[in-house]
Amino acid sequence: MRTYDRDEIVDVVVVGTGAGGAPLLARLAGRGLKVVALEAGPNTDPDGFTNDEVEAPRINWMSERLSGGGDPTAFGTNNSGFGVGGGTLHWGAFTPRPDARDLRLRTESGVGEDWPIDHAELTRYVAEVERTIGVSGPTPYPWDPEREYLEPPVDRNAPADLMAAGCARLGIRATDAPAAILSRDRDQPHFGNRRSSQNLGSIHQGERYGTKATTANTYLPAAVADGAEIRPDSMVHGIELDAQGRVGAVVYRHDGKEYRQRCANLVLAGGGIETPRLLLNTGLANSSGQVGRNFLAHGGVQVWGRFDEQIRGYRGYPSSLISEDFVRPEGVDFAGGYLLQSLGVMPLNYATTVIRGAGLWGAELMNALDAWRYSAGIGINGECLPAENNRLVLSDELDEWGVPRALVTFTAGANENAITEHATATMTRILEAAGALETRVLARTAHTLGTCRMSADPATGVIDAEGRSHDIPNMWISDNSTFPSSLSANPCLTQMALSLRTADLMLR
Amino acid sequence: MTTPAGTIFFLPGLGFGAAAAGPIADALDALAGGRLRVVGIDLPGHDGSPDAPNGSVAALADRAVQVIEAEADGGPFVIAAHSMGGKVTAVVTDRILRGRANVFGLAGLVLLAPSPPTPEPMSEDKRAEMLSWVDDGPISQGHASEFVAQNVAAPLGEAAARAAVEQLRRMSPLAWRRWLTEGSVEDLSSDIGVLDLPVVVLAGEDDDDLGASAQPQLLADVYPRARFVSLASTGHLLPYERAAEVADEIVRLWDATVPTAPQVTPEWGRLIASERTAPEARGFLAHRALADDPDYAPRVLSPEQLSMLRALADRLVPQSGTARVDLAARVDADLALARSDGWRNEGQPANVFAYRLGLDDLSALWPDDTDDQNATAEQNALIEGIISGELNEHQALGGDAWNGTMRQHWFDDLRTDLTRIWLSHPASFARIGYDGFATSGPAFGSVGYNTVAAGLRDPWEPVELGDLA
Repeated sequence: MRTYDRDEIVDVVVVGTGAGGAPLLARLAGRGLKVVALEAGPNTDPDGFTNDEVEAPRINWMSERLSGGGDPTAFGTNNSGFGVGGGTLHWGAFTPRPDARDLRLRTESGVGEDWPIDHAELTRYVAEVERTIGVSGPTPYPWDPEREYLEPPVDRNAPADLMAAGCARLGIRATDAPAAILSRDRDQPHFGNRRSSQNLGSIHQGERYGTKATTANTYLPAAVADGAEIRPDSMVHGIELDAQGRVGAVVYRHDGKEYRQRCANLVLAGGGIETPRLLLNTGLANSSGQVGRNFLAHGGVQVWGRFDEQIRGYRGYPSSLISEDFVRPEGVDFAGGYLLQSLGVMPLNYATTVIRGAGLWGAELMNALDAWRYSAGIGINGECLPAENNRLVLSDELDEWGVPRALVTFTAGANENAITEHATATMTRILEAAGALETRVLARTAHTLGTCRMSADPATGVIDAEGRSHDIPNMWISDNSTFPSSLSANPCLTQMALSLRTADLMLR
Repeated sequence: MTTPAGTIFFLPGLGFGAAAAGPIADALDALAGGRLRVVGIDLPGHDGSPDAPNGSVAALADRAVQVIEAEADGGPFVIAAHSMGGKVTAVVTDRILRGRANVFGLAGLVLLAPSPPTPEPMSEDKRAEMLSWVDDGPISQGHASEFVAQNVAAPLGEAAARAAVEQLRRMSPLAWRRWLTEGSVEDLSSDIGVLDLPVVVLAGEDDDDLGASAQPQLLADVYPRARFVSLASTGHLLPYERAAEVADEIVRLWDATVPTAPQVTPEWGRLIASERTAPEARGFLAHRALADDPDYAPRVLSPEQLSMLRALADRLVPQSGTARVDLAARVDADLALARSDGWRNEGQPANVFAYRLGLDDLSALWPDDTDDQNATAEQNALIEGIISGELNEHQALGGDAWNGTMRQHWFDDLRTDLTRIWLSHPASFARIGYDGFATSGPAFGSVGYNTVAAGLRDPWEPVELGDLA
């Protein structure tokens, strides 16, 4: 790996190596820029991942965040990455494309926000990401006849079979989910062999065979081959401005010592919690007062059905069936909609959800754990409308790097609750149609979005439509904090596309 | 004859082979009636076994691990080891607990006048004398007899003395020399660190360097759970001098560790031991499978708080029968490591403080007359009230530092922590039908699942998980 002197003014410093930072890093390095990525977490070789749920969280951001409001968000393994690869080390690899209607939610419904981005332009980048990382899926795709997946879908597991049967009986369209899981072996440029799907249900714990795309087995090795330097275990906590009010350097901690890297441009890609935390801590780029506002968490309610046979949904790609029939359900009084996905989950994850999401204890809890192997789930990714008071602020408690911990307040609004209610009824019907003996609803939210949103108007957002700070001309943000609205699609694929787009706009 | 419930692997001391396990095996048969199978191991250069490739303790451990891997049946086992075998056992145990051996089921160790992981205390005169015995090839009858005589408190019976001398005479001079000049003087303590498992150390009062008075100093830091047993009128050759007492202690350790801890069936044990399971994952499971220390001293909580936590664990994550995980002790150990799940509720005290405040508060509220049906009903009502939030207005002990919402949030964390600890035990994995740990092997062949349909399983999976596809 090429390295750069800390006193050298590199072209771009990128903070974070996940879905926001890595594609951009590769693109910029590929065009010959001198780029350095600073990653708070460690670098882990593929065989350093474990599927043991107790120990696997070494790939998650486990430094505590504080969670408040009526529906406190769970962080840690639920949504927070740590290490070279960022959140893509633990992501579910579920890769629906963003729906055009979701990018125009305000125009369509009068609530939420529009994205200041053209859907067709975004989709071109999405298709490029799919090619690069290897996304498998069904062609034709029922909700988008134009779409083509270059790899056939991976196997359906037992929860997917049951959801498909239930949907078929009810006339709901459902098909194999698009997923960043290879269905054929591939030689990934600058990385090496990535194996075809091994039907692993433990991909959220970190996957050692390369069947799942991460930035660590795709964009980052390409970036390094083109001259990028990645510094792991480097936690950025300060930003220095020059006399003109432009970023001149970033300050970070590594091995307990403070370092400073000079740069001509800065890209923040630490995600929906760390990016606003850094900006609030430095007091920068917040003339709008919007930093930390409009925290969005996708609705993630699950319904589980118990069946006669052993389902063992920890086998196989966990979300191997999708339905987009409810992106705009008919006859409803809420804005937006939701995606459905079949669910198999790992045992500790399931236990945590039944405890926190359904309040179980004692014999009832043990019975639920014994019934887990006979259970199949369906979950949603549901639209979340921005709300000013769902926000991230700094607490008065310091973390291990001396930075104030984030305090995130989230309360689901009427629209979110209406979506949850509708989805719960839909999923319950599907499971019953599939023959479930009983069903159980588990409350949950997912993802951390929207805290530094993009806006055409500098008064209502933190960055412009290109990804550049409204306040500081050589500071950019490339992560899911920029989402003006949540979309019903899971964010990672969209984020990688946005990352390439921002890189191209920086290169103009 | 009873089907053995488990296995005792025996690693002999310098000069002795698998046959040295004989008297202990006989004593165990008399005591435990075939319950325990004894497998003696010929270490390299002993009793006709070929010499090791080099003189390191690791090379001796390689052979021991090979035999254990070949002979283990997936069920529980204990390693008993004498003298030199004790140092080898430290290496073997370290490998097993790190998952670097394809075995599963280690329950504990019975060490007999063991050589420590640090350089073995031995006078240079004695070392020189022993080396001189093999200057001209295998040890002579006379020197072998002298060695036995030097190492016992009272003369062995004639048959035992003859057996001991015969084994010594079959010892390879190279292996003898290597132990005295290489293996015994190796310092493995920093590699091995702490081995936190059930251990009993027996030693004679009439032994010199490795005797009863020396052992605690040599081993207490390596084996924090070791119980030291001092044997009067006993020298160094415990397998011959005190076979009955050794057998007693083996059974005692077995009964204290195997029936008291949840066990997997041998089929599951073999799956954990197999190449399909990554060494690191096997190590995690090996640690979790160990019996808890009945004398566990809490590191973060007070003894009273630990008792309250145990009472809560019994109600919140009930375990039937006598084989149990001490969930409360494991929560305390996790708290001492400052493990976090990555978030906590706004205003909630940090984990350790929440546990202390919460347990003190509940102690004041807890109806604890366990024989009383009413007490159980009252406990149920209290638990339900906390979970639902109905009791949030109820006065909490601790004033401003601890209110009802904090109690409710802490109780969510508590139930989650207890359940995750219970569920991550290998016996719990087997109970709920989870074998995903065995999809982490080396990256060739099929590492995951071929069969993912309901009701079916792959050939490598335990039979109760479905029909063959």
